[in-house]
Amino acid sequence: METNQWIKSVKLVCVMLITVPLLTGCWDQLEIDERAVVLGVSIDVAGEDAEQEESEVGHVQGAVPAPRSGMVRVGVQIALPGRIPLGPGEGGGSQEDSQQTVWVIEVVGHSINDAFMNLQQQISSKLFFGHLRVIVISEALAKKGLENVNDYFRRNSEVRRMAWMMISKGHAMGLMRAAPKLERMPTLYLMSTLDEGINLGRFPKDYLGIFWSNTSKKGQEGFLPYVEMKKEQNVEIMGLAYFKNNRMVGVTKPLEIAGYLGLKGVNPAGYSAVINLEGMDESVMTNVTQRGSKFDLQIKNGLPHFTIDVNLEVNLEEKMNDEQLIDNTETIKSIDRKQEEVSEKFYKDIIRKTQEKGSDIFGFGEYVRAKKPGYWNKRIKTKENWQRMYKDATFDVNVTVNVRRIGMKAK
Amino acid sequence: MEEQRQITVIQTAAILVSTIIGVGVLPLPLFAVRAGESAAPLVTLFGMAVASIGLVLITWLGMRFSNKTIIQYSEDIIGKWAARLGSLLIIVFFAVLTSLTAREFGEVVVTSVLKSTPVEVTVIVMLLLAAISTRNTITTFAYIHHFYFPLLLVPILLIAFLSFKNAEVINLQPIFGNDLKGIMMGTMTIAALFQGSFILTMVIPSMRKPEKAMLASFWGMLIAGGLYLLIVVAAVSVFGAEEIKNLLWPTLELAKATSLPANILERLDAAVLAVWVTAVFTTLLSSYFFTIYAITQLFRLADHKMFSFFLLPFVFIMAMLPQNIVQMYDIIENVGRIGLYITIGYPGLLFMISILRKKRGNQNGDESMDKIG
Amino acid sequence: MPFMKGFKKSNKKTKAAAPSQKLAAHEHDQISGNLEDTIAFINDLLGANMDLTVRRFHVFGKYQAVMYYFSNMINQTVVNTDILKPLMYIPPHLEGKNLEIQQLEEVLLNDTLYHSEAKMESQLSTLVEGILRGDTVVAIEGIKEALIIATRTIDKRGIDQPATEQVIRGPREGFIEMLGTNIGLLRYRLPSSDLRIESMEIGRRTKSKVAICYMEGITNPELVKEVNTRLAKIDIDAVLDSGYLEQFIEDNHLSPFPQVQYTERPDKIVANLLEGRVAILVDGSPLALVVPTVFNQFYQTVEDYTERFLMMSAVRLARLVALMFSLIFPSLYVSIISFNPELIPTEFAVAVAGGRAGVPFPAVIEVLIIEVSMEVLREATIRLPQQVGGALSIVGVLVVGQAAVAAGFASPITVVIIALTTIGSFATPAYNAALALRLLRFPLIMMAGTFGLYGVMIGLILIANHLLSLKSFGVPYLSPLVPGNFQGMKDLIIRGPLSWMKNRPSFLNPVDKVKVGDVTAGEARNGSDSAQTPSTNEKEKEG
Repeated sequence: METNQWIKSVKLVCVMLITVPLLTGCWDQLEIDERAVVLGVSIDVAGEDAEQEESEVGHVQGAVPAPRSGMVRVGVQIALPGRIPLGPGEGGGSQEDSQQTVWVIEVVGHSINDAFMNLQQQISSKLFFGHLRVIVISEALAKKGLENVNDYFRRNSEVRRMAWMMISKGHAMGLMRAAPKLERMPTLYLMSTLDEGINLGRFPKDYLGIFWSNTSKKGQEGFLPYVEMKKEQNVEIMGLAYFKNNRMVGVTKPLEIAGYLGLKGVNPAGYSAVINLEGMDESVMTNVTQRGSKFDLQIKNGLPHFTIDVNLEVNLEEKMNDEQLIDNTETIKSIDRKQEEVSEKFYKDIIRKTQEKGSDIFGFGEYVRAKKPGYWNKRIKTKENWQRMYKDATFDVNVTVNVRRIGMKAK
Repeated sequence: MEEQRQITVIQTAAILVSTIIGVGVLPLPLFAVRAGESAAPLVTLFGMAVASIGLVLITWLGMRFSNKTIIQYSEDIIGKWAARLGSLLIIVFFAVLTSLTAREFGEVVVTSVLKSTPVEVTVIVMLLLAAISTRNTITTFAYIHHFYFPLLLVPILLIAFLSFKNAEVINLQPIFGNDLKGIMMGTMTIAALFQGSFILTMVIPSMRKPEKAMLASFWGMLIAGGLYLLIVVAAVSVFGAEEIKNLLWPTLELAKATSLPANILERLDAAVLAVWVTAVFTTLLSSYFFTIYAITQLFRLADHKMFSFFLLPFVFIMAMLPQNIVQMYDIIENVGRIGLYITIGYPGLLFMISILRKKRGNQNGDESMDKIG
Repeated sequence: MPFMKGFKKSNKKTKAAAPSQKLAAHEHDQISGNLEDTIAFINDLLGANMDLTVRRFHVFGKYQAVMYYFSNMINQTVVNTDILKPLMYIPPHLEGKNLEIQQLEEVLLNDTLYHSEAKMESQLSTLVEGILRGDTVVAIEGIKEALIIATRTIDKRGIDQPATEQVIRGPREGFIEMLGTNIGLLRYRLPSSDLRIESMEIGRRTKSKVAICYMEGITNPELVKEVNTRLAKIDIDAVLDSGYLEQFIEDNHLSPFPQVQYTERPDKIVANLLEGRVAILVDGSPLALVVPTVFNQFYQTVEDYTERFLMMSAVRLARLVALMFSLIFPSLYVSIISFNPELIPTEFAVAVAGGRAGVPFPAVIEVLIIEVSMEVLREATIRLPQQVGGALSIVGVLVVGQAAVAAGFASPITVVIIALTTIGSFATPAYNAALALRLLRFPLIMMAGTFGLYGVMIGLILIANHLLSLKSFGVPYLSPLVPGNFQGMKDLIIRGPLSWMKNRPSFLNPVDKVKVGDVTAGEARNGSDSAQTPSTNEKEKEG
């Protein structure tokens, strides 16, 4: 027994001896401070002369023709570790320029990866996309199509599905260079603008992963936030950029985001609307607190017909003058009715707008596929068919509005 | 190896679950969705049903011959030489299964976490880990499975429940799918993922109460199948069938899209993959242990330990044969389907012949012996 | 061990391989009856020692006699008044009677000596052993047997609070070095006829007394037999502490994990005896051993059972967390920092990178350096006298840590991590288990440095597999978790109410399985609705 144990242990030591050389590898060890932590990426369409600017890293010049969608100009925002103090408020002078916490570099390339390789050639540390939070794409590129962008980021295992992708009005690069005052790192500000938008009910959940899923679905199209940089280096959400396949086909107005949210019944709710009361030039503002929606699908004349019931719970927030008192049920009822009317038209307009472009960002097609599989299999089957059919689909929108509270004021 | 009968029903169920659940969970939603799109959960259920037939067969056989493993009782049923051929096939199949499991997980690790580490290293590390652990007795083998069982439940349940807040029911409809052509093939692929349950043929002779083996296999199948179903439902409801077709390892992607509340960990993929090492380890351990144990019994040797390192180079080389990841998955799917003949067809054959020839494992005598011992 | 030589002066002359060779050569020699022979024999063996007292006198004034003892091992008063005095004076009722030399033996034992523990021995070697043990030997001319009187009195320490296992609520006694006192402490707590204390002498030279305690009718007899066989096989020069025995009787010598528990608390021993374990006490060691031991004993304390169950369950959970901390925290840190920084929140990741920016080493090396210095510091604190030790540890931790960060030698987070780890390892009640986990931390850090989280997991699997294959006296080390036992789970991670734990741990295969009777458990709960409820009181007043 004793000797047996010894033999066993000697054997074990032998095994260890074989394994130990394996352990000396450290192939993947790369300290966090030796990584170039990319926080944000901007992608623009490169100009005509971009090919001259490009260094010959990925390929020899002229060997590869510029891709169909043209060359890209990629800007990255890399965190500068030394500049961000560990722990809260150690820095003292907090009003520093954001250029000091991040480093923005731009390169051109034939494709996204080509551009990153060109960039890697220029900086010492390895590019690390594990903390990539925001990808900004210029409107021009989005209109050309995002196949390449989607493919690259989907293939890269470091990129998170919870990152945000957004379309910028004008150059995307500008957003990388922006220096908002609220956050230490500019991209984190961009990100929190949208994240807070979700919490405040002003924007739907539309992370990169969700955009991808929606784009892949047969009966649905993706959409992305459409942003613009304002004077004070702040960012405004200008609407939804909606897509058809991988190509951006249009953009909504900011308030139409509320339309999307209402039709989908997304909570928490947060948009306000101005309501003109009947027979008076007086208006009140109401704020939606709770949304609910129900789709009902019928096949009429061989085409899908949707009946959408939207249910809104609202609070009265503001009144412009004192002519009318909000102190009886009748007035409240009239506000209800008025808002119902306005909303119905509003929702229908949005749907019509997307119908014109054949971009079903609401996922009505998915609804058809799920609820009427027989019809879907017979008549639609593919994404293209649905894009065509969506234009002919008919919609009824019924809105129910309930004003529940009027704030602290009694009348 | 003269072992006391020490393995309990719970341990047997744990062995089944942790053997079945392994690296196969990572591409599982992809397999299911390829076959049935939104009917993926249904396909999984079908797969589970097919696998259950196999499991019930081997459990019956095992209970009829409650003192013998499949290697031994097949000789009683169909004669020495035919049985040896069958046993050899089983052994080769499980050796291949071991190597493919190791390779598949190696690929996952190298693709998603350790990008510059050679795949050979990750494969050999997993194989060594399994080889070292096969040097224990079958009781310890059962302990190991039992111990890791909760570790296997936690990540699956965690991912599933955390991701349900992003789920959309509409992705799961229609539950019968839009296209039923691929369902048959997909059912087989998924049934093949349950093949680890064949380990039961080795465990029954060491069970304290072999007559309760059916209970164990029922629970084992229920839990393993339930977890499979949960993962498929979670993945399909979050991503939608079409998106899953774009993802090589949807389960991992699910972990990537999930963050713990309060952002303790912002994404779970690397953490889940790390915990998943245990699940893969238990699967590897089972198939490797099975291979070694079967060889020992085939050649009527006393000690299975000597084979644990002897076999290692062969398994390793087999693991390195597939040239790329696409080819690897082709091989895995094909081997899996062929394996169904071995893990379901062969026991079925044995079962029928044993009924026709009225062979039994002399159970009464065994029981009285047990009481004395 | 220089002091050992003093004891063995007798065989200094002969380069003996066997101990006390001279004594062994005369093992069967009988007392001849000739007093001078006996004196010569004993003087030859022990005469060179300065503390050997030889006192010649006359029994009853006429029979020549000699008395031997080691002067520092006996109680002088007892020897003078209870032995020497009665031997010199003939008892009054015998005065004047003529005593035959043959009768003398009887008279001495039955009429003369005022000492309860006295016996006659005829073998010379036994006499010598008696003297060495601290007995007084009286040999008388003409009698072929000599008196051995137990007069041993060794100065001993008082019974103190156990230094290593202090509790807030619970008994304050701890074992001391003397075996007799320790057994007394056990008997005091367990006045049961079932308590068996067998004894054994181990150690060729030290001849240490070892007591094996168990409960007849509870402890599995197979276990007692196994303990006895394992102890009987031990052949060693000296057993200076129970730790020597531990290393001989444990199942796996190469394992870092302790397979035998030690304690200096009598109440803990009693509790363990009642669970069906066997306790081993060694003369000269204040630490008793308990076998078989399973892993969960190392994070349980006596106090768990004296306080209320809800609180102690929480405390036990905290202890488990600390245990895990001390094992895996540094390796997790390394793997996240150098392999998977995407796991932590972005803001924090960038800040951590900032903290590390000046550090020239990879995280593994950094952590290893700080860990090793922490171990050195800890060892230094233990070795130093108490007054200095406290100061050093504060200076060490504060100054060195701060300086290391300031010098760009380590990042502040590393220091935090190592500090947490170290504190975590102090929270494990059993020092030897904490030691094992401390040691295993290092290979884990290295695995983390090679494969990241994957490596940590592989390391943990190896450790877990080792634990699973480990056994202590045939009991799986992770019982009752594996193999699963639901009764046992009640006392595993949480500490269930005592009334839940009706049975003794089943993995010990106790003969009598039930610990808490049904009636007792029931009554304790139902009894709550008694006379003191306010409503009843008021009614009584009214009436």
